[in-house]
Amino acid sequence: MRANLRTLAGLALAVFLVLPFLPLVGWSVARGWRFPALLPDQVGVDAWAYALSPPSGVLASFAVTTLIASATTLLAILVGLPAGRALGLYRFRGRGLVFLLLLAPALLPGIAVVFGLHGILLRLGLAGSIPGVILAHLVPVLPYMTLVMAAVFARFDTAFEDQARSLGATPWQTFRHVTLPAILPGLMVGALFAFLVSWSQYLLTLSIGGGRVQTLPLLLFSFASAGRNDITAAIALLYILPGLMILAVTARRITGRGAALTERLHP
Amino acid sequence: MTTLSLHGLRKTYPGVGQAAVHGLDLTVDSGSLTALLGPSGCGKTTTMKLIAGLLSPDAGEVALDGTPITTLPPERRGIAMVFQNPLLFPHLTIAQNIGFGLRMQRLPQTDIAERVAAMLARVRLDGLGDRRPAALSGGQQQRAALARALILQPKVLLLDEPLSSLDPSLRDEMRALIRTLQQETGITTLVVTHDQAEAVALADRIVLMLDGRLAQHGPPEDLYRRPASLAVARFFGGVNFIPGRSQGGLFQCPIGPLTLPPGAPQGDHILTLRPEALRLGPGANPRTGRIDFVTFLGTQTRVGLTVDGTALQALTTPDLAGQLVPGTDLTISLPPEALWLLPPE
Amino acid sequence: MTDRTRLALLLAPALLVLGGLFLTGLGLTLLRSFRYMPALGLTEPDLAAYAAILTAPGFLASLAFSLWVAAASTLIAAVLALAAALLLRQTFPGRAVISFLVQLNLTVPHIVGAIGILYLFSQSGSFARLAHAAGLITTPAEFPILTQDPYGIGIILLYVWKELPFITLILLANMQTLGEDHEAVARSLGATRWQAFRHVLLPLLMPSLLAASALVFAFAFGAYEVPLILGAHAPKALPVLAWQASTDTDLATRPEAMAMAVVIALIGCALLAVYGRMLAKGGAGAR
Repeated sequence: MRANLRTLAGLALAVFLVLPFLPLVGWSVARGWRFPALLPDQVGVDAWAYALSPPSGVLASFAVTTLIASATTLLAILVGLPAGRALGLYRFRGRGLVFLLLLAPALLPGIAVVFGLHGILLRLGLAGSIPGVILAHLVPVLPYMTLVMAAVFARFDTAFEDQARSLGATPWQTFRHVTLPAILPGLMVGALFAFLVSWSQYLLTLSIGGGRVQTLPLLLFSFASAGRNDITAAIALLYILPGLMILAVTARRITGRGAALTERLHP
Repeated sequence: MTTLSLHGLRKTYPGVGQAAVHGLDLTVDSGSLTALLGPSGCGKTTTMKLIAGLLSPDAGEVALDGTPITTLPPERRGIAMVFQNPLLFPHLTIAQNIGFGLRMQRLPQTDIAERVAAMLARVRLDGLGDRRPAALSGGQQQRAALARALILQPKVLLLDEPLSSLDPSLRDEMRALIRTLQQETGITTLVVTHDQAEAVALADRIVLMLDGRLAQHGPPEDLYRRPASLAVARFFGGVNFIPGRSQGGLFQCPIGPLTLPPGAPQGDHILTLRPEALRLGPGANPRTGRIDFVTFLGTQTRVGLTVDGTALQALTTPDLAGQLVPGTDLTISLPPEALWLLPPE
Repeated sequence: MTDRTRLALLLAPALLVLGGLFLTGLGLTLLRSFRYMPALGLTEPDLAAYAAILTAPGFLASLAFSLWVAAASTLIAAVLALAAALLLRQTFPGRAVISFLVQLNLTVPHIVGAIGILYLFSQSGSFARLAHAAGLITTPAEFPILTQDPYGIGIILLYVWKELPFITLILLANMQTLGEDHEAVARSLGATRWQAFRHVLLPLLMPSLLAASALVFAFAFGAYEVPLILGAHAPKALPVLAWQASTDTDLATRPEAMAMAVVIALIGCALLAVYGRMLAKGGAGAR
């Protein structure tokens, strides 16, 4: 009885979670779907064919979005890994302040910082360019990466590094063969989710890109506001693909670690 | 005063082939302090949780004074459990923790305050009621956890490894406190432990569980000197085992016939003798053995010998150790009254 | 190399990025909100922009709308997430599938979810069609306005859909750290199932629930693309209003956009304080 009730509640939750995807799937294969039809009038792959053809600009946009998210992630690793090490391993004065400074960009809405950011990047001559957008994305992505690495380093025992050095390893060899393998699982998860945070940005790209950097969400919005439900749906489904793949890579049961990492993810 | 009895209690965890508890039958006498002893993984904690109602058994019954309570939820059993870690609720003060169960019964605040104050004094935590659990030492936390259960005047009190989270220096104090409180209240108490010395020191009676089964139940002395099986003898540190046959008061075995105490059973058996009962020097059942090793253990010295190809061990006082030289021969004796026959494997 | 030097070197790049982009960006926004823009010849800071937005009816309506949407979304999502976490902690057939869906949802960008909600709940959406099939309505206009509506129902629906899994995962992680022993103790001390939840589990979960809620509130309050798709023409969500003011051809409205951004940042900072406090409390409680 109680188990049945649970299954029923679980089913309701599952339906609720899946529901918004259903019209997207329907529209993406619809050839006409007028009110009040419950199912598309005709089914076809026209929307997909158009979305994947060069004139729609979807593939180019996919490439730009991937480039920006990859570059942002790489930068975030280069900058966030050392900072994460400092925060995870050392207790120092002002550590709380640094944490606060890290939490703020992850928590404050993009709109709060976007105007000033635009001013800075304009002065640097980077407004309206892909490097400018990458730097802008670094603001919400870096805190996430750094906090994940801080958590990873907090569980890392530096005695392994001392041991390696005393066995004749150079600092670089020590990092390459001892530290990196130890932190790699956490680094991977952090990087994948950093990629997703950049991948999902809308407002920062819109503002800093100034219309010249057309990432997928921007393209998605322009098709949506043009009322092309079928193409919009196809792009929307393409847009969630990397997230699905990343989930497949990191998927495991809801473990403490997995959840603790996602916990830091910007909602 | 309540007698706790278990009948055919059985529990298997999903996904684990082997049962955690195999058809356990057990009666814990009213007002006794009984230790549930066994190595880790033998099903002790599972048994505790089955008794407390935190797990439901696959089969079998839990009864108090003969009344089955197997289907009652934990809060209606009148059985309180103290866990291995104190598990004081971190969001409540010590006094609020101790008064928790009474608050759940919706007793008036003034009554609760009065009884909590009295309880704090009994476990020597006077003046600490307003502290948070984190501000207390490990020993104080454990005492608060004990008080939190005792204040409910449960019919049965379950203690899961109450001493294991404490420093060795605090254990004697806590052990004494448990004994005193148990004797004052007369609450039927079952203590889970994996430490045989702790069980012997604490309890009136010991229930030894091995592999989810009841291996022996009786006063500590019985399990120690008159083990029911080879496994029980081994668990209590038995090392001397000689297979053979008992016939007419003599035990025929590889080291020659040994005189048995009167009333020893007949037939194939394994003879055992506690290492501290094996005497170095001449006496009844004398034999000559070669010394293999001498290990200094502090208050005692362990001596390994071989007698006609059979390895035996003795525990002796350290002052004798100087005279024992490995490789030399030594006369030993096996006092008949210390010999005990185990059923063959 | 001393520890201090090493520390400085490790932290320098991150501090440079955060200081150079984030803090400077905030500072610049603040200066401009005081109408200090030397490039345009404005060198006398004043509060005119704040006065202007406070007297314009659109701002207060938008502020109230954004606060309402954020509060309603957070409350509903938090309550449902608590129920979902309690459910997913149990074992039942299909639990693995739901756990997967919960995590999947976390990776979906808000804009995709918003479009999905639009196609579900608009007057010609899936539910309107179902209502038609059930004979409840004959034309789309008869279906209640649930998206792009003045009460933000569509926006709230999206946030509940998107943030429920987020809070659920945080609560599940917290429950896993806590274990079930505290509740077991409570039960063996005579607490009923409900009492053990009410007096033990809920207070222990509260810090992380509040911390997660602060994050959700901050996001729901400050997000731009969700109200862009699901919001009504009026009242606009505050971020949408601010963005429009900033892109207005009339340069005089720019400082007003900055002032609105500062107001949003201040509310965000207040939530940050709540979040930090709860995180510290949760950390201490778990120990």
